[in-house]
Amino acid sequence: MNLSYRIFYVLVRNIISYKRFILPTFAVSLGQPLFYLVTFGIGMGAYMGYVGGKPYLNFLVPGVLISSVMLSSTFECLYDTFVKMVHERLYDSLIATPVSAEDVVAGDIAWGAFRGLLSGVLMLVVALFMGVHPASVASALLIVAIMAFVGVLFSSLAMIVTSFAPNFDFFNYYTELIITPMLFFSGVFFPLDKFPQWLKVFALFLPLTHAVNISRAVFSGEAVPGLWWSLLILVVMEAAAFVIGIRLMKRRLIT
Amino acid sequence: MPGNRLYLSDKQREGPRMNAAIVASNLSKKFGQFTAVNGISFEIGQGECFGFLGPNGAGKTTTVRMIHCVSPVSSGTINVFGETAGLENRKIKAMTGVIPQEINLDSGLTVAENLLVFSRFFDIPGNEAKKKVAELLAFVELEAKKNSRIDELSTGMKRRLLVARALLNKPRLIIADEPTTGLDPQARHLIWQRLRLLASQGTTLILTTQYMEEAEQLCNRLVVMDEGRILKHGSPRQLVSDEIGKEVVEIRIDKAQDEMLINLAAGCSCGHERAGDTLYFYCSEGHDLVKKVIDLGLPNVRNRPATLEDVFLKLTGRSLIE
Repeated sequence: MNLSYRIFYVLVRNIISYKRFILPTFAVSLGQPLFYLVTFGIGMGAYMGYVGGKPYLNFLVPGVLISSVMLSSTFECLYDTFVKMVHERLYDSLIATPVSAEDVVAGDIAWGAFRGLLSGVLMLVVALFMGVHPASVASALLIVAIMAFVGVLFSSLAMIVTSFAPNFDFFNYYTELIITPMLFFSGVFFPLDKFPQWLKVFALFLPLTHAVNISRAVFSGEAVPGLWWSLLILVVMEAAAFVIGIRLMKRRLIT
Repeated sequence: MPGNRLYLSDKQREGPRMNAAIVASNLSKKFGQFTAVNGISFEIGQGECFGFLGPNGAGKTTTVRMIHCVSPVSSGTINVFGETAGLENRKIKAMTGVIPQEINLDSGLTVAENLLVFSRFFDIPGNEAKKKVAELLAFVELEAKKNSRIDELSTGMKRRLLVARALLNKPRLIIADEPTTGLDPQARHLIWQRLRLLASQGTTLILTTQYMEEAEQLCNRLVVMDEGRILKHGSPRQLVSDEIGKEVVEIRIDKAQDEMLINLAAGCSCGHERAGDTLYFYCSEGHDLVKKVIDLGLPNVRNRPATLEDVFLKLTGRSLIE
């Protein structure tokens, strides 16, 4: 892995470029998760009542925070990366400088994570307005760290998909068949304990399950079962996705 | 005869062997089963402007991409200012400026931001970068556009910005891959002037092009490539005189007349070639032949100086290359 501090330069490039698009993208990244918070949280919450002894909204928020990170990071490293790579040939110009292909991809993963983090923090602010807040300042800070970490994971996974994508349509397979279903099988909206055993086992293979598990524990400041396992699995998945994503993208960039 | 400057051999004319900036030996590039570059060797001197000419798919771009380390070599070696491509890629890239064939400016940024962000990639500190950017915008006459978005620029302006971008790191080597494609004559001449100015300051320049005029305007030496191989190398003038002669007589006429005309030209020591609707005679002096042909009263006869384009077409074939 030919990585260097120049990852940071790629990140800076994206931040400068982002200035112009900041308001429209805020609207987009807020849209879907906000819609979940309102419909599920308020609409369905009225029927759900309490989950684990707390109002349903308190159950829902940590999951939606992480989901918004997942969605933003994923879309950034699918569509935006694809445009930069294929349409604008931006990557070609970057790798003609001392910035290596690995730096470029890692820089864009960092950027995807940053975008995810922004969405997550925005959702956290919305949640505060809805009267739901983390257990302490420490848990709020920890939540932010976890959002960044989860952002890197989903950015890296998206990079793997982008490295194969012949065109935009290809991304539909990933978003419609993997990302959207994952939202419903990872315990974001309801606890998984009523699922049949095989579905519970299936859910253990989904990174979002573990991310939500950790997020919920940190948000409430109360331990949940399997917390350390979730963390370990997430770290392993993230390391693998990061390395594989960069390798595959490099194969596409350097011919 | 020491001191006699009138009778210089070709070798002396080139001057003493310059320090090599780039040495490529037995260079090949394969994409799967396809061989894009097939075992070529060349040396480029410091301060030289060296051209790669060839039709589409000849392997020019692939070759220069290997020189500036964005495409790994399949076999053979390249040395750039003593550094080996593949081992010291970052070092080579740090001293190289690339004017790419495709316009790959950063459309998310303004003109000035494009240059500022790019100078970061070369570790140029902020203050120095600002100065350099102002200087380069003046150099390519784009100061008035510094806050414009990329999609507000004409093609000529975009190409000039690419030139400025390639100069941020004060490169010892500039690679210009078809730098004037799609430009009007004014913009093309501006880019040529800038490139010549850089060459006169000692920068080594590598140019790929399909425009023969461009090669004649800029290159000290060049190679003609086709199908991944080097067909010929030399200075533009030397190639023209070796391959073609001084003049060309073009006669647009039915093929049935070829034999008669070739017999007619027998005494004039001209080579000939038929391509499509035209018979070409390559002569050291076309006057005699033209006199004879004029007596026949043929309508479409043209006598003109031989150019690099004739060399190119003779070597790579006059038929269409897809």
